[in-house]
Amino acid sequence: MATNPTPARRKRREAAVPLVIRSLAGLTLLILLAPMVIVILAGLNSGDHLSFPPEGLSFRWIIAFLNSDIFLPAYGFSLVVALITMVFSTILGTTISIFLVRTRFVGREFMRAFFMSPLMLPGIVLGLALYLFYISSGIGLIRTIPGLIVGHILVTCPYVIGTVSAALVGFDTSLEEAARSLGAGRLQTFRKITLPVIAPGIVAGSVFSFIVSFGQFDVSLFLTPPNSTPLPMALYISLRYTFEPTAAAAGIFAIFLVVVSMLITAKLTNLKRLANVNFS
Amino acid sequence: MSNVKTNKQGLSRRNLLKGAAGTGALAGTATLFNINHVWSQDVTWDGQPFDAGGATLRINEWGGFWQEFMQANVLDEFEKTYNCKVAYDSSFPWFPKYVASGPKDPAFNVGNWNLNEIIKLSRIGDFFLGTDEMKENIPNTADCWDFAFGSGLGVTWGFGQYAYAYRTDLLDPAPVGFKSFWEDRLAGKRATYITSNGLQQVFFMTSSAEFGSGQTDMEAGFDAMRRAMPMKISDFTGNMQTLVERGEVEMGVQWEGEIFLQMDKGIKVAPLTWDRKPILTQTHTVSRYSEPMQKKLSLALVNAKLDPKFQNLAAETFYVRPSNKEAVLPARLTDKGVTNTASALDGLWIPDWNWYLDNEDEITETVNEIFAG
Repeated sequence: MATNPTPARRKRREAAVPLVIRSLAGLTLLILLAPMVIVILAGLNSGDHLSFPPEGLSFRWIIAFLNSDIFLPAYGFSLVVALITMVFSTILGTTISIFLVRTRFVGREFMRAFFMSPLMLPGIVLGLALYLFYISSGIGLIRTIPGLIVGHILVTCPYVIGTVSAALVGFDTSLEEAARSLGAGRLQTFRKITLPVIAPGIVAGSVFSFIVSFGQFDVSLFLTPPNSTPLPMALYISLRYTFEPTAAAAGIFAIFLVVVSMLITAKLTNLKRLANVNFS
Repeated sequence: MSNVKTNKQGLSRRNLLKGAAGTGALAGTATLFNINHVWSQDVTWDGQPFDAGGATLRINEWGGFWQEFMQANVLDEFEKTYNCKVAYDSSFPWFPKYVASGPKDPAFNVGNWNLNEIIKLSRIGDFFLGTDEMKENIPNTADCWDFAFGSGLGVTWGFGQYAYAYRTDLLDPAPVGFKSFWEDRLAGKRATYITSNGLQQVFFMTSSAEFGSGQTDMEAGFDAMRRAMPMKISDFTGNMQTLVERGEVEMGVQWEGEIFLQMDKGIKVAPLTWDRKPILTQTHTVSRYSEPMQKKLSLALVNAKLDPKFQNLAAETFYVRPSNKEAVLPARLTDKGVTNTASALDGLWIPDWNWYLDNEDEITETVNEIFAG
């Protein structure tokens, strides 16, 4: 089982990474973080327009966001959609992963590619295809919240499949065999042995699905129901007409939510790892 | 038409079924279900409020602050008066949604959107009522200026002239006409839009007309775009406002309402309207094959938008000129020289969108290449 390396060992490991690689990693991190810093500063701008660098610092747009009849409901709507999506994607994605990893049959690779295909398709194409499907099939999902959530599940499920499959591939099945030999049933084995071990993969996948759903724009463009606007759509509409920093202020709250989600994931996955160490 | 009106007003699916059952015409009953769309074509409205029984009216219209305004000043009251629910879709683009649903099962019952897309859609299928049909069924159209029906599709309830916004503090001497945009001093400080934006499309056709033999002189338009480089290319009008306000752009393509708004905010800008007077329109369409109740509600909603009181409010808020002769302009428009008279409409010009759409691929490809270079 993995244990935390001592500081001296960690230092030796870091020294083994070439300077070029470390510099590139640092540069990449900077490029990834720079837009977030710009959004945060633009949201704290005291000026009238969305601009960078800010004219001054102020909470006026944060307050405008909190009092907004557009952004705050949109934020709440996106949050609810993302949470529901996360629950369904996690259950479906985990089930599909177990099926794909644990069973052998002709066409398994094709099926894996099929389930992962929403990641390869442009979101606009997927959104339009679903829109057409809803219309032509007449199943009552067009312009509805369930219809939007189905679209989000399609987009986010591959993330859960990816992370859970990774956890399952490295899974030592002798643990399950040991449990079974000691009298545990299939379900008990899954609940007591398999689930705890693959839990970090499930948690990571579910958080990814939450984040991707919360920020989903392409699919929502076609499937958004009337009178219910997700946050990315509200931001897009705002930027088209007013270009106010309220959009950036909304972005600050979105970033906050994502960062909190990531921290929770990190915390949970570490706890699980610790738990594993203690068990062994 | 009057006979048809009398006959149809008392008809509903339920009444028809009752009548059919009464005569024992069972076979006829089934047929009546299937000809619903045929009836829907002939729905009329006499201008009186009615009870829609909680029906839902689907509309597509701009979002954000625009939606808030419409909700507060028209839709809330409309829902109460007609006992209906308005489902508001602000998720632009709506064009593919209309196409995907088809004309017989329209994605929306009423639309308020861009003329170029309305025309593009009408070339694909019989989606919308024509202006004559709208005039017959919407009482407030009687008070509208003729240009409100100039497109032949739908009815325009608000408009504004296309213009340049220029910085009065940065441009001395002030620009004098449409061709001032090409002056050397504005290299890199002038701006237009991406090719998918309607303002750029109008700017292109106007350039073709000004520098060539007419609005369809494509080569003259391409040459004008080439000579205007380097210039900034904006995505949306909101972004253009910011560029002008910050002085990064000293002269940019806008429409007058947004320039007036900036002027009232104390920004040192002024409009330079073009000799040719292309206009940005707020045009309502009514889907021809909506269900009868939705269609009747559509006519009532468009009537509400053509009401002079509503148009006064819209002019006050968005600097949109009214299409109703009876609307009274607010001071914030009259103090900028805008009037609501017949003479104020002289020379207003709606570009030839049919020609543009016929040549859209070539224009888009070539202008994109020019902008990219």
